[in-house]
Amino acid sequence: MSALLEISNLQAGIGDKAILKGLDLTIQAGEVHAIMGPNGSGKSTLSYVLSGKDGYDITGGSMQFDGHDLADLQAEERAIAGLFLAFQYPLEIPGVTNMTFLKTALNAVRRGRGEDEMDAASFLRLAREKSRALGMDDDMLKRQLNVGFSGGEKKRNEILQMAMLEPKLAILDETDSGLDIDALKIVAEGVNAQRSPERGMLVITHYQRLLDFIKPDVVHVMANGRIVRSGGPELALELEKSGYADYRGNEAAHA
Amino acid sequence: MLNALAHFERAKPHLSGDVEARAQALQQAELLGLPTRRVEAWHYTDLPRLLNRASSPSGALTGNDFSALKPHYLVFENGQLSTDAAQLSAEFVAPEADLSADAMTLYNHALAENGVTLNFDNSPETIVVIETKGSETQHFMHRVKLGAGVKATVVDDHAALGYSNVIWHVELAADAQLTLVHIQQSGQYVGHCTANLAANAQFKQMTLLTGGDVARHATHVKLQQAGAKADLHSAILGRAVSHNDVTYTIEHQAADTHSHTTSHQALADAARGVFQGKVIVQRDAQRVDAQMQARAMMLSSEAEINAKPELEIYADDVACAHGTAIGEIDADALFFLRARGIDEASARQLLITGFVEQLLTHCDDKALADVLRRHIEQKISALTLTKLEADHAV
Repeated sequence: MSALLEISNLQAGIGDKAILKGLDLTIQAGEVHAIMGPNGSGKSTLSYVLSGKDGYDITGGSMQFDGHDLADLQAEERAIAGLFLAFQYPLEIPGVTNMTFLKTALNAVRRGRGEDEMDAASFLRLAREKSRALGMDDDMLKRQLNVGFSGGEKKRNEILQMAMLEPKLAILDETDSGLDIDALKIVAEGVNAQRSPERGMLVITHYQRLLDFIKPDVVHVMANGRIVRSGGPELALELEKSGYADYRGNEAAHA
Repeated sequence: MLNALAHFERAKPHLSGDVEARAQALQQAELLGLPTRRVEAWHYTDLPRLLNRASSPSGALTGNDFSALKPHYLVFENGQLSTDAAQLSAEFVAPEADLSADAMTLYNHALAENGVTLNFDNSPETIVVIETKGSETQHFMHRVKLGAGVKATVVDDHAALGYSNVIWHVELAADAQLTLVHIQQSGQYVGHCTANLAANAQFKQMTLLTGGDVARHATHVKLQQAGAKADLHSAILGRAVSHNDVTYTIEHQAADTHSHTTSHQALADAARGVFQGKVIVQRDAQRVDAQMQARAMMLSSEAEINAKPELEIYADDVACAHGTAIGEIDADALFFLRARGIDEASARQLLITGFVEQLLTHCDDKALADVLRRHIEQKISALTLTKLEADHAV
């Protein structure tokens, strides 16, 4: 069986600055992988390079996703192919309601996947059902996208978008940042509800805390633009005790 | 370009009021001439040059359907009222020429041959739509006077193709509330609105400019008694070589008066935007709250914005602020939308729409907001973004 995501020897950066320096990572459908690592190790760059943000130069290696070479696809084509990035800092978009945004996105993805667009009534039903499951007020659908949302509301809104778009692979970029413990639990429950044998997840986090709530199958340590160690959930607990000092040393030696 | 003397001779037989005084007003106007950039209030809008250049096509006109508001309709075509004003007792009252006025007012006093006079003393809430069409030069003098506690909405739906000189006089008695909406999608409109507000009166003005060749919308509000409030909001979708000028003067003459001014200008192609906002707080006008915010979204490297916010404060216990922000479409916001499957052109369109539709956050009437939203969305879908994409690729 071919992997859902297969990254080999990926090298990427901005201008002359190399950030990813030969990264390998394979995720099978149904698996939840966590990437941990110190600040500056390239975790967020990995999420942006995978999802197709402009401004990064890919200088080597490959990214295969569900039969696609990601480098050939625009950001929107990757979303249609089933890749989803939950943003660390979701953008505020004044003047565009959450509802309009969700409907535009859902129908763009459905069109791209060769499905019929959803009519207004069915869409409304679906959006209400999914948002209520995340404990969101109906009012949040009417508000301007993320404008005036609390940190927890923004992250919940990201998970709502994931639930609507039904991706094959979800990348959660520091989803725990800026959340108190109650908000973290709600968001984690929302993510766990979407775990399935067909779906892969890549959870990027600085802290072990999130992984108490979203249990990973595999934990990777990233440092200096590479995966330097992989293991089971126990690796996260070990890092929580020992910190990233060992890996920072490693990084310094390379610098 | 208007030839005022010839126009006056042609219009003379139909002009009401003191025609001799009007002739004098015209003489004085011609002496002063159309305002050029040497006149400070017109620094960014050199009227003779703008009116003399070849006009650019306005694009297809968008019909605005106000039926959900159940309004009274008054339709002017080439200066003539084609509906019945008697239903509202709104018959035109000729201006009295004021020879000390500025040139544009003098031209209007000389040449205004029509307009509406709305005098609501204790009427129930009234909604009036004034539609202007035609391709000839038109001069209007509109008056809106609301008695104590009276509420009204007046929509100036401008889809004429020629040159129009329009004066608005607004008088609001205590606790009166007027919403005045201007939609200009074509032609050359040079408008001046003065509004005088008594205690606790509220004046809300929403100006939407989506395709006129020349648009000059100047508003001068006097908050004369405590509790008076002005909400002045504009949104501009500038395309081709359109010139779009919103100019505000807000005088806080009494204590405890408030004003809130916003402008959102999205400028494509070689469109020009002008925002001038002057807040004056007089010496005894304490506890005034005046907020002014102008934003511009530049959609092409040839677009131009001129923003000049000013505060003139003579009282010491006030909260006044102004800000100007000029930028392009936010690259991070664009990526966010694309990462949700929305193609780049649609994502840009959504961001431009959201920017312009911030006007609607100030509109409490849902039916009216729906009309404005449909208008904006039709105009944006007609905007050719090919230029943008070319810019983006560079």
